[in-house]
Amino acid sequence: MKTKHRKISRRKFITLTGGAAGFAAMGGFAMQVDWALNNPEINAETLENNRITTDVLVVGSGMAGLFAAVKAHDAGAQVLMVSKGRLGSSGQTPFAKGIFAYDKDNEALSIDEFVAKVSRSALGTNNKAYTRQLAEHSLARVNELREWGFFESSLYNKSFSKPIEERNIPVHERVTITHLVKEDDRIIGVAGFSIDEQKVLFYEAKSVILCTGAGGFKPNGFPICDLTHDGTVMAYNIGAKVTGKEWNDGHPAKSENPAACYDGWGDMFEQKPSTTRIEIRHDLGVDMNYMAYINGGAAQMGPPGRGNQSNGVSGGPYRPEEFTSQGGPGGHSQDGEEIQGPPPGDSDRKRPLRKEGKVAPPGMGGSVVGGSTAGMSIHKAEGLVPINDKCESTIPGLYAAGDALGSYMAGGIYTQIGSSLSGSAVQGAIAGETAANYSKTVKSKNISTKKLKSIEEDILAPLKREAGYSPAWVTQTLQSIMIPNFVLYIKKENLMKAALAYVEELRDHHVPHLRASNLHELRLAHETKNMVISAEMKLRASLMRTESRCSHFRLDYPEVDNENWQAWINIFKGEDGSMTLEKQPFNTWASTTKSSEIEANS
Amino acid sequence: MPIKSINGCIGCEECIKSCPTDVLRLNPDSKKAEILYPEDCQICHLCRMYCPVDAIVITPDKSIPVIVSWG
Repeated sequence: MKTKHRKISRRKFITLTGGAAGFAAMGGFAMQVDWALNNPEINAETLENNRITTDVLVVGSGMAGLFAAVKAHDAGAQVLMVSKGRLGSSGQTPFAKGIFAYDKDNEALSIDEFVAKVSRSALGTNNKAYTRQLAEHSLARVNELREWGFFESSLYNKSFSKPIEERNIPVHERVTITHLVKEDDRIIGVAGFSIDEQKVLFYEAKSVILCTGAGGFKPNGFPICDLTHDGTVMAYNIGAKVTGKEWNDGHPAKSENPAACYDGWGDMFEQKPSTTRIEIRHDLGVDMNYMAYINGGAAQMGPPGRGNQSNGVSGGPYRPEEFTSQGGPGGHSQDGEEIQGPPPGDSDRKRPLRKEGKVAPPGMGGSVVGGSTAGMSIHKAEGLVPINDKCESTIPGLYAAGDALGSYMAGGIYTQIGSSLSGSAVQGAIAGETAANYSKTVKSKNISTKKLKSIEEDILAPLKREAGYSPAWVTQTLQSIMIPNFVLYIKKENLMKAALAYVEELRDHHVPHLRASNLHELRLAHETKNMVISAEMKLRASLMRTESRCSHFRLDYPEVDNENWQAWINIFKGEDGSMTLEKQPFNTWASTTKSSEIEANS
Repeated sequence: MPIKSINGCIGCEECIKSCPTDVLRLNPDSKKAEILYPEDCQICHLCRMYCPVDAIVITPDKSIPVIVSWG
């Protein structure tokens, strides 16, 4: 019967059973067919197919995408920006309100001292070249943002539009990119579809910059439900190396209405952005989850940031002595004062704590629930593996910036307050300029008709299925496997293996049968596919890392293991197509041939 | 329901464009924004903040119990 129901369309089935009477008579059978039936609202066979050509294609329109497009244009390339959402109003950028600017004239620490202190907090997990680059370039980017009016409004679309419109850079909004296209070992374009117009879109480009952000499992309580690791998974699919999947963001939410992220952050989303100065921390978040786990529940989450002595709980994530007097991402300060958690994209504690007459933001006051960002790593720690400090990936012509690049700018832990947003600006600019220069050295290539057809089939497959699984249900099933506290927050081998078995089940037997009845659902289907792959990556990397360090905590390996684990984990497709993991020693650059040492102080 | 209602829409589409999760669409007949996929609302309020006429009402609850890490 299972095989049969996939082959019977609703029309045919109604004919077979004689309409409504037939449904009633064959109730059991009818239910089996009906739950899975696809009722397409559009005809997938009639979708238009468009080709667009450019030198540099920027995918994503947050902070990294903005600077990538502007700087690629200014370096002389023809640029086109394509976004799943809207310029300045999708991904995490709209919610990040603190931006770090290193001003050497007003800071006590030199850049060398800054890099050294971040590295001590990050326990070696940071890439010193990217940490240094952040400090060196942040003020220049912040000054440009100021000129564009960024600091004058809480909403970023207008200020982001200014430099884009001045340069006449075309922006294609509400386009979901699903495929990267590689030929002769280099990138030649991308493919996707519009959610408004019935069009499959092929972008042929000499170079592509992924500014696609990070992602999660559409978690409740954090505004990242449009971020599903699309860039990382698309790049992985064409052979790129990706990294950083074992690290865990530790933001909490309120236990009452936990999905209401706006309410969770008080009125912070309505505030204008502001700059931050040097304040280096060791913001764990996982220590709070650990205490809750040991004490048995969210009500016992208690204040984070008190190292190993809180609430009589011993053990737990290691915090370096130098950084013990700080809170976690949100919580109480050492003296018990309530503070807010940081916004997505930064950890700015300088914003007002609460407004007169307003309900206090969650902080850790009262009952909170951990894991509001479920599925997200630390900013800048997960994404494509760079082979140099120019945001270049392991695929020629393919670049990434911001949260889509596994630059380890801050390491596997939150270190410098407000650095996430400025890091995206800094890396976007560098990627833009580098990609523009690269595009001058190669000729554009057409995507072959054969390739075009096969990608189009893949994009539209969920629309064409007569029956299958709804993306919402597969996503919810994935959430119920991955989000509970005992999987990614308090990690143990046996439970991660169990979760992996479930995820493999979804990957092999559910993802291939995702259905979509319209373009909204088609986007969800492709997002779901990416989340399942990312879940597999997170579990495999977390299983491989048999130690605890920064935001990765294993109950069965609770200590930092410097003998075996001064290394990042890269993930790529092996020769047989299976997910393969490798160690890359800290302080080295990845390479397709051999790794080389990172110049920390150049 | 997270995004609850739109009253007094002028059809400018700011909310539709600014929604990161594609919850809103323009009704082809009325030429006004309508809530088409409320289950995907992440309660971030961007639509409300971008709306020039304060037409959007949002509540903090989800229509179904949500899956969280702790509870």
